[in-house]
Amino acid sequence: MIWHIAKRELSNNLNSLRFALATVLLLGLMLTNAVVHLREHPERVKRYRENVSNHQNHIAAHASNGLYDLAQEGPGNLYKKPSDLRFCAEGGEAFMSDRAQAGYHRWSTGTLKSFWILAYPSATPNRDNVRPEVTKVDWGFIIGYVLSLVALLFTFDSISGERERGTLRLTLSNPIPRHTVLIGKFLGAFISVSIPFILAVLVNLLVISTSSGVHLDAEAWGRLGIIFFVAVLYTGLFLALGMLVSARVQRSAVSLVILLLVWVVFVVFMPSTLASIAGRSTSSGPTYDFSERSWKLHEELSSDYYSSHYKEPEGSTKRIEIDGAYVTKDAEQQERLHAERLNRRIAEVHRARTITRISPVTIVQNLIESFAGTGFERHLQFLENVQTYAREFRTFIVDTDSADPESLHIFGVRTGMSQEPVNPEAVPKFEDTLNLSRDFNTAATELLLLTLFVLVLLSGAYLAFVRVEV
Amino acid sequence: MMLTLIRRELLDNLMTFRFAVAVFIMLLLVVANTAVLIKDYERRLAGHKTEVQKSREYMLEGKTYSVAELNIDRPPNPLSIFNTGLDKRLGNEIWVYYGHVPTLWDAEKHSSQNPFMNILSSIDIVFIFEGVLSLLALIFAYDTLAGEYERGTLRLVLTHSVSRGHILLAKYISAMVCLLVPLLMSLILAMFLLTTSPSFSLSTPDFLRIGGIMVASIAYLSAFYLIGMLISAMTRRTSTALMLSMFVWGFLVLVYPNMIVAVIQPSNPPEERRASVHNHIKQIWEEFERERKHFLATDTHLEGDPYGNMRWRGGYNFEHFQDKASVLQYYYYAGAEIDGFHEEPESEALHVQNYHRFLVPLIIDTAEHTWRVRKPVLEELFILPATVDRSWLRLTPTGIYDIATQALAGTDLNGMQDFFTAVQQHRQSVIDYYYDKNAFASRQWFSSDKEVVDWSALPQFSFQRSDISINVKRALPDLFLLLTINIVLFIGIFLIFVRREV
Repeated sequence: MIWHIAKRELSNNLNSLRFALATVLLLGLMLTNAVVHLREHPERVKRYRENVSNHQNHIAAHASNGLYDLAQEGPGNLYKKPSDLRFCAEGGEAFMSDRAQAGYHRWSTGTLKSFWILAYPSATPNRDNVRPEVTKVDWGFIIGYVLSLVALLFTFDSISGERERGTLRLTLSNPIPRHTVLIGKFLGAFISVSIPFILAVLVNLLVISTSSGVHLDAEAWGRLGIIFFVAVLYTGLFLALGMLVSARVQRSAVSLVILLLVWVVFVVFMPSTLASIAGRSTSSGPTYDFSERSWKLHEELSSDYYSSHYKEPEGSTKRIEIDGAYVTKDAEQQERLHAERLNRRIAEVHRARTITRISPVTIVQNLIESFAGTGFERHLQFLENVQTYAREFRTFIVDTDSADPESLHIFGVRTGMSQEPVNPEAVPKFEDTLNLSRDFNTAATELLLLTLFVLVLLSGAYLAFVRVEV
Repeated sequence: MMLTLIRRELLDNLMTFRFAVAVFIMLLLVVANTAVLIKDYERRLAGHKTEVQKSREYMLEGKTYSVAELNIDRPPNPLSIFNTGLDKRLGNEIWVYYGHVPTLWDAEKHSSQNPFMNILSSIDIVFIFEGVLSLLALIFAYDTLAGEYERGTLRLVLTHSVSRGHILLAKYISAMVCLLVPLLMSLILAMFLLTTSPSFSLSTPDFLRIGGIMVASIAYLSAFYLIGMLISAMTRRTSTALMLSMFVWGFLVLVYPNMIVAVIQPSNPPEERRASVHNHIKQIWEEFERERKHFLATDTHLEGDPYGNMRWRGGYNFEHFQDKASVLQYYYYAGAEIDGFHEEPESEALHVQNYHRFLVPLIIDTAEHTWRVRKPVLEELFILPATVDRSWLRLTPTGIYDIATQALAGTDLNGMQDFFTAVQQHRQSVIDYYYDKNAFASRQWFSSDKEVVDWSALPQFSFQRSDISINVKRALPDLFLLLTINIVLFIGIFLIFVRREV
């Protein structure tokens, strides 16, 4: 019986104007998305490959100069691997730097040179860009905004419309329980929204996968499957909302007005308003100047150093030790400073993102981001990879040095370290990776929250429909 | 008769549920967001004040002319609450150096800002209006003709001796009056919040600008009401009209503006052009460097290093070429601050002064030359694509409304350029001041042993936002475009409605 009702609902919808319009709109958007991705992505991948080979050349060049040079220069810039699924979610990637700096020149004195530290440059793409600011047309936008609107437009009259026409009474006069009617209607609406969406997704993937510039591997297809599931869940949320309001309200026009306004508030305005509130509440912290603090720390250390340095005779081991301690302590201090600033910034964003999670569209966009391997969580993963690599690199230096019996094992000074040549092949290289199980972990809360929303709204719709007077 | 019609329509609209919801939603969104936006503005203003204070301290720390740190901080625009435009996006710290013409591409952002926060979306009042006003207008309009047709009341009305044009006009006027209620109420409440906030000091021209934004909002509202009416006149059933209206709204407001900017791309790849011009600018400075080296070589006292022959006691000097290829920034930066000498360098000092008398005007000339090369290319690389985008955005009322309100608020590209033009003029006046004081050839240019530079007489930077008449002039084309859309739509509705069989 459920299927019978669903079929009736479906055949009703398939012939309607909204079905045609939704198909055209979704197809157009998905096609645009694919075309833009194909235009931009190969370029991005090419740049990444060049950068990675630069990184490897950098290491090879410095390894051939000996251990001190390698330890002083560091591994160079480390680059974030662009996700192949960036067309699913842009995730504000443009505002997050695609690299971490592991080594750049800070200072040198006559004999000493600063050691490398891990620093996190910030991307400010907007500073040069005067083009109008718009939302990227990615899957997140298409699903979050357009698909949810379409879902509401398909269900706003599903019960109130039948009541207006009087067919609801007719249906319920048959010996069918009300929940069967509701589920049948839900399924019918669900299938009719899914058809244009699936069609659009297929066209989108067809265009993307047939192009030679972009390769999607098995894991990417798995991720796409999860993203599709999230989209389906999200559509269900809005279908349930539409049925809930439609069951409570007598006239379908009123139902649509309520639904549209709820949609506008929750989908369009909530994320931005909450983000503004969050942004305000977090930056009340101290605004001391980073560079000033960094300079002060360095100055203090230098004055200590110069007061003890000249007390020791030139060339003595003690003096080398003081030199080495100066260089390594400075690098440690500065790196900690950079890490502190980074952590503070990350904490701010985390707080803001927690607040914006009230809006379903933010939840779904966060979910798509985490499965597409873009966005903030992905950036954190990259930073973690970078930090792990930095430790690995430093351990390598220490191990290589301790393997050489002639070395003084004093880091930071050329004379204190191993003079043996280093095999460039043995030096660890940085490779950025994406980890699906970790994504699941970060996304689990949001997935559960979304499912909870859907269940609450569905049961709400059921209760409303059961109690409705025909 | 006309009045009766209007009254009937007005009562019809005012009593509806949708009117109540419209007022509620508009008030809720505008008031909540205005409060948030005011706090945001206050924070930016506080940041601006600290930066101004700090840059003043930096300036006073400089003891010689050549190491002067003249930083200017861009104040936030109070009207950015209405339309943020470029106000938050572009850099706010700009360095005034005689050897480089500053542009908006040379400005930096405050270092205390968290760059990650940009991933969260931002909002302004015009954005709320763009979304909600258009939706409300369509919700009010979809059944205005199709509904009467369905109920059969249209036939009834037309049996009286009323012209069809009058009916349309009455419907339009009464619905607009209804829609203006939430718009005006929310704007007045927003203004109330603005005027009670202590950090806002709105001048009379600012109120006029807000008035202009209100006019643009009304024109935008009316355009969407007429789109809804057109759909209503074309269809026979309200449900069809409603469905069409919603999809039209989704397309015009949500989809098209975002899609079009993603699709269009600057026609020729700018990378090669950028690289070639960057090379050209580099060559200009290489030429400069040759002349400089030549001068140093000819003066036997200097022997290649201007400060090398003097025995200093303390201080520092530096020289390097600043290079940032992405925005074609390339200049020579040198300075010295020598605290004192072991022995008085009489003749050497004169030679060094002579060197600067030659060098600094040469730097300024080369900077001007660079600027003549750089300016058109910056326009081609950055401004031209933005202009193309904007002209495509003008195909929807939403785009036109956005551009018009940006121009009125002064947060559009022109308004931003005004500020940077003022900075360029300030640089010129600083250079003139240096010439007047003969600063280049003075000893204070590189050494503070005799006298420390007195910064108090330096010309002060001041910036006034452009005159209201200029703002209006920049917004007028788009306002006229909105008006034209209104008129064309109205004529279209009239033609369709007159020929329609009831």
